[in-house]
Amino acid sequence: MFNYLHNHFQAFNRAMVRIFSNISSSLMMFIVIGVTLFLPSSGLLIVENVSQISNNIAYDAELSLFLKKNIKQDQIDFIQSALSKTSIIKKIHFESKLTAWDKLQSKLNLNPLDTGMSENPLPDAFFISLNTFDEKAINVLIDNLKTIDGVEDIFFDAGWVKKLRSILYLIKIGLSFLGIILIIVLIVVIGNTIRLQTLTHKDEIEVSKLIGATNSFIQRPFIYTGLIYGLGGGFMAVLTLKLSIEIFNKASINLEAMLGGTFILKNLIWQQNITIIIVAMLIGCFASFFAARQSIKKFEIFN
Amino acid sequence: MINFDKVFKRYPGNMDALQNINLEILPAELVFVTGPSGAGKSTLLKLISSVERPTSGTIVFENMNLSQLKSKDIPYLRRNFGMIFQDHKLLYDRNCFENVSLPLAINDIGGMNINRRVRAALDKVGLLNKEKIMPISLSGGEQQRLAIARAIVSRPSILIADEPTGNLDREYADEIMNIFYSFQQVGVTVIISTHELPITPIKHKKVHLISGRLEGQADYVQLPS
Repeated sequence: MFNYLHNHFQAFNRAMVRIFSNISSSLMMFIVIGVTLFLPSSGLLIVENVSQISNNIAYDAELSLFLKKNIKQDQIDFIQSALSKTSIIKKIHFESKLTAWDKLQSKLNLNPLDTGMSENPLPDAFFISLNTFDEKAINVLIDNLKTIDGVEDIFFDAGWVKKLRSILYLIKIGLSFLGIILIIVLIVVIGNTIRLQTLTHKDEIEVSKLIGATNSFIQRPFIYTGLIYGLGGGFMAVLTLKLSIEIFNKASINLEAMLGGTFILKNLIWQQNITIIIVAMLIGCFASFFAARQSIKKFEIFN
Repeated sequence: MINFDKVFKRYPGNMDALQNINLEILPAELVFVTGPSGAGKSTLLKLISSVERPTSGTIVFENMNLSQLKSKDIPYLRRNFGMIFQDHKLLYDRNCFENVSLPLAINDIGGMNINRRVRAALDKVGLLNKEKIMPISLSGGEQQRLAIARAIVSRPSILIADEPTGNLDREYADEIMNIFYSFQQVGVTVIISTHELPITPIKHKKVHLISGRLEGQADYVQLPS
């Protein structure tokens, strides 16, 4: 067991020697892997952040139910009681036309004489919070509410949130495809680099075979090289991502006054950072394993 | 130890490298495979080390039929042999110590054993003081001695040397041959292919090949002239 581990340590050592003996091309490889992984990771990070905002918005979405101008109080009471019996309604808030008019005037700093309006143009309204986003259930509710006498109009305010969610979902699918394509690109790039390395070490491979080395023994340093490429590239991706988030958030805070609000990207949690690094290492390992195996097979000394 | 029975080897292009070879090599024997260029000497050695497979016939090594050996078992077979080549086949990006330690790593031998055995092998070929030197700095004879150290470090039962003195001056060639004789004396089977039979002070077997055919096989005790 000790000897087995010692051999692995030696293979790792040889891989490190190969990487450090060609440090510039190794750094290039780290950057290629880092940048390639950065693209889908940053996209997914932004989508995740926007998704969280859309989720928060969804909880505040309301169904606005506007009543007819000449509605009587007993009709309002009837509607309120009907609403309170509906299961998908979480909260009901009634706003009388007088309250709404007062609010509007104070918000816009209006004087009735200035507006030239002799009477309050606003209707009584119910603002309803729903506990579901099931489109069918909401449409049934809207249809039912429309049949109630005294109801003038109904607006479902969360429609745009659904559209945003759909768009985000599509972007997520797109990013996943992009991620898969970029992973394939990485496998090809790392695999090709490892294949070239096997050509550089052709003599060593042939001598090792002649003195009894198994293919797995010969492959080992190449696999470790791929693994280290993945590790370096993964770190590069995480660092680039962190740096980008910092720069974006700083810029966002600086523009707060101008835009009247900020959009702060949440940083990756450590599990996500580790995941990126592990994914990069697995890609490196997978690519180098297959490239080295194929290449070493070609050096078979049989005729 | 090694038995050739009606062995034929034909390369692509219908070139017969070996024809109907029947040969027995015994333990601790010193065997010279002689013959002119193209006689099939190297092919014979390649068949023993399973670098090539025979076209027909059987080669048996310690109850293993090499003709039917599976590819995955070949590395383990080769660990029984110490191989030496005319062009040394050293790794020039590794120092002498690292070159000699390679078979030990392949054989899963680690730790302090590596240090002890590599130093012992280098000592045997007179290169102990050059363990940290890169092979490129060594002379031709020293490089071949280093190759021998690599071949013996894992204590193989058979040493196979393909034209080991082909590129060396007479003085170096005698030096190398003496190293081989010393291993034969301690019970290692030594098989050497060479153009000309050297003057050999110890009992040996001569296997003479011409155009892939075994033209002669005899045991000799040749005394120094």
